[in-house]
Amino acid sequence: MIFDPILELFRGRAITIPPMDGAFRPNAVLDETPVLAELQQADNLCALGDRLLASSGTELVEIRADAPPEPVQSFAAAITALAAAPDGTLTIALDDGTLSENGTPVPLPKGVACITALAYGPDGALWLANGSDLHPVSGWVADLMEKNAAGSVWRRAPGADFKVMAKKLAWPFGLLPDAKGCLVSESWRHQLVRVEGGTVKPVLRHLPGYPARLAASADGGAWLAIFAPRNRLIEMVLQETHYRFDMMASVPRDYWIAPSFASGESFLEPLQCGGIRTMGVHKAWSPSRSCGLVVRLAPDMTPTFSLHSRANGKRHGTCSVIEYQGRTVIAARGGNCILTAEDRT
Amino acid sequence: MNPVVKMEQITKNYRSVPAVKNVDFDIAAGEIHALLGENGAGKSTLTKVMAGVVSPTSGKLTYLGKEVQFASPNEALHAGIAMVFQETSLVPSMTVAQNLYLGSENFLNRLRGTYISAQQFLQSLNFAVDPTAMVETLGAAKRQMVEIARAVHHKAKVIIFDEPTATLTPEEKRHFFALLRRLKADGVSIVFISHALEEALQISDRITILRDGEKVASGPTSEFDRETIIAAMVGRTLSGEIYRHRDETQLRKPGRKVLSVQDISMGAMVRNTAFSVFEGQITGVFGLIGSGRTETFKIVAGIDKRDFLRGGTITLDDKPVRYYTPAEAVRDGIVYVTEDRKSEGIFETMSIGENLFGGLLAADKEEGFVIRTSDIRALAEEWGKRLNIKTINAEAQVVELSGGNQQKVVIGKGLVQKPRIVIFDEPTRGVDVAAIAEIHQIINELADAGLAVVMVSSYLPEILNLSDRILVCRQGRIVEELSPAEATEEKIMYAAVH
Repeated sequence: MIFDPILELFRGRAITIPPMDGAFRPNAVLDETPVLAELQQADNLCALGDRLLASSGTELVEIRADAPPEPVQSFAAAITALAAAPDGTLTIALDDGTLSENGTPVPLPKGVACITALAYGPDGALWLANGSDLHPVSGWVADLMEKNAAGSVWRRAPGADFKVMAKKLAWPFGLLPDAKGCLVSESWRHQLVRVEGGTVKPVLRHLPGYPARLAASADGGAWLAIFAPRNRLIEMVLQETHYRFDMMASVPRDYWIAPSFASGESFLEPLQCGGIRTMGVHKAWSPSRSCGLVVRLAPDMTPTFSLHSRANGKRHGTCSVIEYQGRTVIAARGGNCILTAEDRT
Repeated sequence: MNPVVKMEQITKNYRSVPAVKNVDFDIAAGEIHALLGENGAGKSTLTKVMAGVVSPTSGKLTYLGKEVQFASPNEALHAGIAMVFQETSLVPSMTVAQNLYLGSENFLNRLRGTYISAQQFLQSLNFAVDPTAMVETLGAAKRQMVEIARAVHHKAKVIIFDEPTATLTPEEKRHFFALLRRLKADGVSIVFISHALEEALQISDRITILRDGEKVASGPTSEFDRETIIAAMVGRTLSGEIYRHRDETQLRKPGRKVLSVQDISMGAMVRNTAFSVFEGQITGVFGLIGSGRTETFKIVAGIDKRDFLRGGTITLDDKPVRYYTPAEAVRDGIVYVTEDRKSEGIFETMSIGENLFGGLLAADKEEGFVIRTSDIRALAEEWGKRLNIKTINAEAQVVELSGGNQQKVVIGKGLVQKPRIVIFDEPTRGVDVAAIAEIHQIINELADAGLAVVMVSSYLPEILNLSDRILVCRQGRIVEELSPAEATEEKIMYAAVH
């Protein structure tokens, strides 16, 4: 009805969660997928030549199919982002706000200290996602609960300085550059946007979760990792300002009513409706703060299918996915493992 | 074995057309005798003769060894034969308790005492019905429960149940079957009419099958299976058409997303439910009674209204819509085929053509200002052929058609509106097996033609065998989506209950 936008001023705008159907139809593929490696807090994946590297807390490790993960380098702070340039340069960002290329510190613009994703474009330019001006990467929950939109995307052309490409983004967490611009996942707004020529245009909106990192697929499409589902209870808390700040002031961060990389590990965690387990069966559809979800996007960025680990699964907190030697490799931060899936296209 | 009721060579003619012809039927004490047949086979007529609703044209009725001829249902009831009708015979403006005790009241009644004893009685039957509720406020399932309770309360020796489980949920059916077994143990004879063949095979001791008013088969239940029953009922095998298992490759792939429902709410009935509907696919929706499945789709079709404050979002082709009348939804191509065809689906005393034309009027698709009877007749002829509606003549009133053909008229009334989204609510309730196969074919053809089809059903085999995806509704929201290739009745029921 034409009056609805006016009426919404009085009755409140409906905050709705899109259903997990169509391309997002639930399955248990991630829980059935073979484990490539057990790795505590497996976070960011990158392929350096024919080597598969992953970050795990403060450690950079190399993943091999027939051997346990081998530590490559250890850092003073947790690794927050990895990127490999076509020329073999390895770029690493840390939670203390530093960035290095092959071990050499890189000067960063003022205010850039929360690097959530790095990626090299086809022209050799380095793209950088700064999650928030207000928190480090480890403070992501606080950034969400404060409902900040203080993130930015930067580009550094070869031999030049970083230039800001987009500002006021709500936790940019994934980058997929191409010749013209860059596709960016905006977690707190549950959308993918395209940053191009100084403009930000939504490409895929109303995702049913919090999008994380992006990776190119061989057919010209993309892979998107989603680390947590949207949830009615969390949506309600996000609308209740007074309650939210009270919770942030008085409850330990691990037990906030907020998305998480993993859940169900402590009885102190918030429960919704109490209906998680009935007659000894952990219900796959019970409300959860975490999930594993990897989405395949067609070249036009429409979702085509998805791989899930649902409330009754363990491979949650999927933060990173890449194609490596014809297989899909997924890092499940909450599941403390790296998975490898067959090509399902 | 001394039969409690014995019917010999019963014939009943309506306008010289025999509804039942020389049928022998008997039932022993403490026996459950299933009476099966297609709609129009003569089951209801035969049992109506037994219950004194109609008098036989010829034949002999013996009750407890004596030849009887009941002049009225009341006379049969007092003699000990009660009939639970498919369409309930309760007084809508009275409470449940008053209906239970109707006709057997004391000279002075204390309402409180009536309610307490009704409550105890209903609880003893495991029926969750409030005795103080007005019958007009009850849904179809609860009315059926009251009707059953009334028959049991009259301490009848013979109880005839005509489609007693059509409106009951699987859980309620289990309670009902437990009740039947209890009655049987107490020596009560039960005539059980049902279209659900599994139920007849599960509960009955003996099965009699009628076709075209004649008895075609009768014997102990152990001698029958689904195939033999269907073959006897319709003269051919249909089960392959109705019950087929499909793997993932046989399911239709989703087309374009046409309807997206996000977090719609309506009081306590529909709570933050979210789902999408795709073109070229049958979306099956299963839920127990009270799960909000019907209400959800009535909101989509503009019949019910979602909450004004934070009532959620419905988008049709990515555009938000909020319907205040069903006509708006019809104009946008959304058609709802009701579960209650008698009160919401058809004009009983009108012809098929007039009913179909009513559909056109609702969609604003009739042409010109003058309604021509030739147009109505042409419409009836066209859709009668398309949907294979069987009728004596073109002018026949819809009330004269069998349940299956009435249902086809309801479907036709929706399809003349040229919809894009068709929502079927219990499309085969009270419909015989041959008509079920035909209706399933119609639904499949619609999905094959690219329409978005939603089928709400509480009949699990139908959900499993017709849907391309299954949504399970519980406590006012869609809780789970399953693929028919991997779903089982147990999995669906678990999601619906827990």
